[in-house]
Amino acid sequence: MSGDSIIKLNTASIYQRNKLVLENVDLDIGSGEFVYLIGKTGSGKSSLLQILYADLELKAGEGQVCGFDLNTVKRHDIPFLRRKLGIVFQNFQLLEDRNVEENFKFVLKATGWKDKNEINQRILEVLEQVEMIDKLKVMPHRLSGGEQQRIAIARSLLNHPEVILADEPTGNLDPETSNGIMKLLLKICESGKTVIMATHNYNIIHKFPGKIIKCENGLVINSANKLN
Amino acid sequence: MPSKEDTYYKNRINSSYITSVISITLVLFTLGMLGLIVLQANSLSNYIKENIGFEIIIKPGVKEADILYLQKTLDLEPFVKTTEYITKEEASERLTSMLGEEFTGFLGEEENPLLPSIDIRFNADWANNDSLAVIEEAIITNENVKEVYYQKSLVHIINKNVRRISLILLGFSLLLLFIAMALINNTIRLSVYSKRFTIRSMKLIGATERFIRRPFVLKGVLQGVISAVITMLLISIIITVLKSNIPELAVLIGPEMIIYLFAFILLLGIFFAGVSTYFAVNKYLRMRTERLYG
Repeated sequence: MSGDSIIKLNTASIYQRNKLVLENVDLDIGSGEFVYLIGKTGSGKSSLLQILYADLELKAGEGQVCGFDLNTVKRHDIPFLRRKLGIVFQNFQLLEDRNVEENFKFVLKATGWKDKNEINQRILEVLEQVEMIDKLKVMPHRLSGGEQQRIAIARSLLNHPEVILADEPTGNLDPETSNGIMKLLLKICESGKTVIMATHNYNIIHKFPGKIIKCENGLVINSANKLN
Repeated sequence: MPSKEDTYYKNRINSSYITSVISITLVLFTLGMLGLIVLQANSLSNYIKENIGFEIIIKPGVKEADILYLQKTLDLEPFVKTTEYITKEEASERLTSMLGEEFTGFLGEEENPLLPSIDIRFNADWANNDSLAVIEEAIITNENVKEVYYQKSLVHIINKNVRRISLILLGFSLLLLFIAMALINNTIRLSVYSKRFTIRSMKLIGATERFIRRPFVLKGVLQGVISAVITMLLISIIITVLKSNIPELAVLIGPEMIIYLFAFILLLGIFFAGVSTYFAVNKYLRMRTERLYG
């Protein structure tokens, strides 16, 4: 069930440097939706996600994400937009020089958490959510790919984000581990969060159906619940 | 407790930190040695200037009390470093010792023909022909003074050479300072470059630029401090060895000079490392994602 609109793009054109990647993008995603973003490599999936977390400037059209206007958002406000989003990458992007707990503490301190007890409490909560409670003191390089991705998802949940943006989160994982990650993302979605996941793994979409948005030939095609 | 392997892994990730410290230390050491040479050259030039001879010949028959009064008056002047009153007898003894025989007999005179004098040594800032001419003019008006004697051409040559050497050293110092700045900047930039994806991850989790920058800059400043301390230790060793082998250097390398030099090295280390880190981090904070891979 989708709720109020949380992400909205109107006739947006997305550029990488000066190259037009996607044009006339209309998007309306409500809270609690699970949305797949599909398309070939280079079709613009990651660029679309980059626009949503303000890593790319919206040069044409209009856009709103979690109440932030992408056309007018200032550079110093971008961190506050990102605190409403949880971002998950194919290559996890955990801080390699510190253990899981320190990774999480960094995120919480960076986003304004001060109380030590609250910080410790929140870390345990998210680790429990992803069933990784025993990995608190483990360095990222000691974790398997699936475990690192679970930790990355847990990290994205730390600030109670409204939206999870996952860019090929199963791209580096075997099918069994991918299923585990998908179940986790669906569980997160069921808790009321919006999940937007870029992927080109159609098996996963068959197994875990959701709304589909397709990037093709510089256009975005909304193909609700259908995979063509 | 982190395992040995974890500690090794962390250290390996942070190995660029040690490399940076070594590089910054080498640059600061080179600058420190140049600083030492510049300060020594300055001390040496002051030492030479402050030993330029300036003699006030007193008229015959002037009472010793008047000469001592004149000496005291001179001692109070800002341009005077030291004065020495040389009586007729002392002047005679000195000349005899210089000539190696009694000169009064040689001249065919019974009485000592030499006059008492006051020998002045000036502060370095005043030891130039212009100042000395003004001083000479003022002193010569004193009724007890017969004449003033100093080697104008020598003063001119000393000042000319000191100026020339100072200019060369200044040019060389500026050049080296620029090279040092470029080298430290490059070292720090390479070190921050290796963390560019960490900076990106930090950005994406919603950290503000200031929050991301702060630990990097603090670490950069710490690198500067550690490098400066190592440099100071190395230069201290060199100064000790130099002083034990060339005791005359003790006059030129005073404790005050060493404090100035060390303060300079410390400030330079902190400033260069801190500022370079600040700008290097800013560069990656503002860099577009696709350029991070290029």
